[in-house]
Amino acid sequence: MKDNVELVVVGAGPAGLEAAITASQAGMDVVLIDTSPKLGGQYFKQVPESFQSDDRTGNQAKANKLFQRLRSSTVKVFHNTLVWGIFEGSTPGTWCLTLYGPGVPERINARAVILATGAFDRSIPFPGWDLPGVITAGAALTMIKSQRILPGKRVILSGTGPLLLEAAALLIEGGAEVVGVCESAANLIWRGIPYLPAVWGQWGRLREGLGYIKTLAGARVPYRLGSAVTSARGEDRVNEVTMAKLDRNKKPIPQSEVRQAVDTVVIGYNLTPSTELCRQLECELEFDGGRGGFIPRRNERMETSCPGIYAVGDCAGIGGAEMARIEGRIAGYAAAGKLGHMPEQSVLRGISREEPGLRHEQRFAELLGDLFSPPAALYTLAGPDTIICRCEQVTLGQIREAISYGAQSVSDVKNMVRSGMGNCQGRTCGSIVAHILAVQTGRSLEDVRYLNIRPPVHPVPINVVEEHQQGLRNLEQGMARE
Amino acid sequence: MRITKITTNLPALRRGKTIEVIVDGRRVEAFEGELVSTVLQAENICIFGRKHTTGRPSGIYCGMGVCYECLVTIDGTPNIRACQTFAADQMVIETTGNVKP
Repeated sequence: MKDNVELVVVGAGPAGLEAAITASQAGMDVVLIDTSPKLGGQYFKQVPESFQSDDRTGNQAKANKLFQRLRSSTVKVFHNTLVWGIFEGSTPGTWCLTLYGPGVPERINARAVILATGAFDRSIPFPGWDLPGVITAGAALTMIKSQRILPGKRVILSGTGPLLLEAAALLIEGGAEVVGVCESAANLIWRGIPYLPAVWGQWGRLREGLGYIKTLAGARVPYRLGSAVTSARGEDRVNEVTMAKLDRNKKPIPQSEVRQAVDTVVIGYNLTPSTELCRQLECELEFDGGRGGFIPRRNERMETSCPGIYAVGDCAGIGGAEMARIEGRIAGYAAAGKLGHMPEQSVLRGISREEPGLRHEQRFAELLGDLFSPPAALYTLAGPDTIICRCEQVTLGQIREAISYGAQSVSDVKNMVRSGMGNCQGRTCGSIVAHILAVQTGRSLEDVRYLNIRPPVHPVPINVVEEHQQGLRNLEQGMARE
Repeated sequence: MRITKITTNLPALRRGKTIEVIVDGRRVEAFEGELVSTVLQAENICIFGRKHTTGRPSGIYCGMGVCYECLVTIDGTPNIRACQTFAADQMVIETTGNVKP
């Protein structure tokens, strides 16, 4: 199989699909890589091959159109494939991606790479959050939408943002008893007023949101603004939670605590951009709390500080599917221009055509980021015995001890107590440890930074890494002979 | 619990053909296209493994391959993500192992 291409796009969600289609239409030779067996990512998630769905929703129609355009293009797709590292290629100005998947080359060289790796749910730990039965909003949505399985019978939701509403509505439609939705943000209406211009024109989103609220109201489910689930209890599965109202500073008010029997807790404090590959490449990052924390710094062509590496969609700052699609197209034009497939004039024309839409989406993302930022004060819900790093079973107490012994960064804490060293490579606990550090040392998140990422960015069998090393050695020897 | 209701946001859906998997030595009916995590959930199994250091139970958390909390042993291979693996006829799934990686 050919292992030299002009462009590799990582991630087949809305951003990656648009990027791949745009670049290939300009005449580029494109490979699109995704971890899952089907196109669409999380947003346009398809039901499995062997299921037959009668989905005629507008969203599905949009997705199908995109899939159709991809299938009629020359883009080659590698499914079920992990990109576990990106390295400087053997010829200057190229990048080498190391892959793990069925029937794909171990390495692929590209002159440009567009990262469209998306985002995942942000977690805020509380006592009992690691019990079976406590799941993320993304998990609940995936189970219901693409597998038609109900995560539980009696459910409470806690977190912030529109995803929580969608999860609640689908749980109700699927037949679960939803006992309440705790939304940590308060005064949504008042705080939303300055943003009215940003909402103008977002009719599809508003209709969707209103639909969910109607479903909640129809089932008489309380939507509690300014509250949160503060702890969960159970032996082998959660069976009870405590929820509380939050004060002005987002601290739980002890007198307002209420206990509730449930078998499932759905938590979703907005999303975290999946920046692992950017960080492994040591792209310059910038901090934007409203867009999900540290995100790659980009120019107006979506190019990061690493030349030829572009980042688009939620992995470059939470902005939603529509923004992801626009950014994907812009990066597609930019990459095509860089490699001489499109005259500069056409690139500029393409980008300026996307600009009004992009600005509109950016304003809306600002609104969502401001209204639904996960409140920092909630990071104090965890107790000394609460597990923070699930993989390595590291408690808050151990992390605090490491800090008191002088740990200055998330990486220091990792070196001392192993938090972030397990299977998920700090995806779940990395930002939590950063918050704990910031609170305990009185520093800002920008200052505390984030976990360094080294390849492999996903766990792969050790022989895969070994084979890559051997390949590199052969390559070096070959070059030495030349 | 498998959802059979049809609603606005959950349009009609037909699962794949019936298959049989072996969960902790027990024969269990499942459907083609279902994830291992779905099959276990339908059987009311919520503990997929136990942490080797503390013995705390673990199961589904992120549901999208990020957190590695749902690891099970499949056909003898340990540490496979149940949420990313489709069930197949006669697949042997073990939930208790969670061998140290």
